[in-house]
Amino acid sequence: MTELLQQVLDGLSTGLVYGMLALALSVIFQGTGMLNFSQGEMATLSAYVTLVLTQAGVGFWVALPLTVALSAGGGALIERVLVRRLEGAGELSLLTLSVALLLGLNALMSIIWTTDPRTFPSPFGKGLIEFAGLHMTVQQAGSLITLLAVMAATALLFNRTSVGLRLRAVAQNPASATLLGQHQGLWLMVGWAVAAAVGAFAAVVAAPVLTLSPGMMAFPLLLALAAGTLGGLSSRVGAVVGGVLIGIADNLASRYVPGLGRDLAIVAPFALTALVVMLRPAGLFGKTRTVRV
Amino acid sequence: MSTGLLETRRLVARYGSVEVLHGIDLSISPGEIVVLLGPNGAGKTTLLRAISRVVATRGAITLAGVSIGGWSGARTARAGIGHVPEGRGTFPDLTVEENLRLGGLARPKGRRSTTREDLAQVYATFPVLADMRRRAAGLLSGGQQQMLAIGRALMARPQLLLIDEPSLGLAPMVTQQLFEVLAGIRGEWSTSLLLAEQNARLSLRIADRAVVLAGGRVTAAGPTADFRDGDVIRRAYLGEAAGDPVEDEK
Repeated sequence: MTELLQQVLDGLSTGLVYGMLALALSVIFQGTGMLNFSQGEMATLSAYVTLVLTQAGVGFWVALPLTVALSAGGGALIERVLVRRLEGAGELSLLTLSVALLLGLNALMSIIWTTDPRTFPSPFGKGLIEFAGLHMTVQQAGSLITLLAVMAATALLFNRTSVGLRLRAVAQNPASATLLGQHQGLWLMVGWAVAAAVGAFAAVVAAPVLTLSPGMMAFPLLLALAAGTLGGLSSRVGAVVGGVLIGIADNLASRYVPGLGRDLAIVAPFALTALVVMLRPAGLFGKTRTVRV
Repeated sequence: MSTGLLETRRLVARYGSVEVLHGIDLSISPGEIVVLLGPNGAGKTTLLRAISRVVATRGAITLAGVSIGGWSGARTARAGIGHVPEGRGTFPDLTVEENLRLGGLARPKGRRSTTREDLAQVYATFPVLADMRRRAAGLLSGGQQQMLAIGRALMARPQLLLIDEPSLGLAPMVTQQLFEVLAGIRGEWSTSLLLAEQNARLSLRIADRAVVLAGGRVTAAGPTADFRDGDVIRRAYLGEAAGDPVEDEK
């Protein structure tokens, strides 16, 4: 039993990364109505920014808020300069743009920092926490707390502030929001900024575990998309739970399913996702939009 | 009338290369209820969209004497033009109260402090919304959605409220109730009303003036009393009045 619980805890390492990235995907989906494939590379860029700042002698806990602010600004800039040109061009064009951004940001980072992996020290330290025969790294515990804090912050923003109300309205029905005096462009820009800021936290959770390289988030992005499908992209809690479940399922499968091993175990979370979607197409927490006409 | 709240002169609107309005002169005075009549495709919806600046136009358009021709839709809404669009345009995933609060965010500066009172007044005007304030708007019936859309627009404290086909898809009884509420709105909320409506009989009963559109032109206009015999309207709908025949429209 202790062994099983330990395996579940170990699954958290990657699960929290997927959950955090899925949260960023969910935020931009709720705030702008768009699926952003470049969310992972944006987060990786944030990690490099943190690294550059800390190497320049800035302490990590100063570098983090700086990175979050810079990332938010970067997200807003991407919306203003690139996304806005495609306003009204349809979802497919936006999807294509986000793939182009993924490739472009990846190339940019490879040019500046090369593709060599770099170690990214855990901001939370190296220790182990032990209790009841189980153990957990300080990085895992710190990541968990970060994730919960960011979830709480986004929940407050979306559900309790007028900014969140405007974001949701513009994402749901931009034409109606305009008739109510909301500037569509402004709020889409804010949506991008918030998602990029959440991505910056994802980077800090991910980089110490995955080691930092331009392609660091390529695989996690796929799993975060699966997490969004599993938990429901329209629900932030669902996306996070989906991500954590995928990390745990992956780890349990590699330990307990004979013949799968470390590399093949990833089929398990995808099988789980496929199964859930068959039973609940909107995901575990997703809202199937009910509209009376 | 140069004292109008809203004035348009030779207003032309087009979607791409298709011209839909061919020069509309319209004037609405403060506190007035004007009904826009005309068959499908006459340009009623486009005229409302032109007034709220979400469709490109040529010609003059002024609100309280200020030219709004170059304004964005959002700016126009903030300046006091409310618009309940065709199909209501409520936010289905937001609750009833969130929909209403969103309307209140667009109000002109200086009127923000009365948001709470106005919310109470919307609930007094439409009691059914108060019962459902926590419910997702998508779960409301057609009539309730229409009330929500009107309530939401009122929360912005408009000087002029545009309502596109309020009776569309509603049962006759519900339509009747809705029009009774509409008749009371100008007094309770001190706003002018411009209704685009197919139901001529009901809308003529509450309006001060009627404007008949056909083929993107005004074919008749005047006090509602002039339209009571139905003759002018019948001619307008059948395309016999001056102006282009009905087939000419987009």
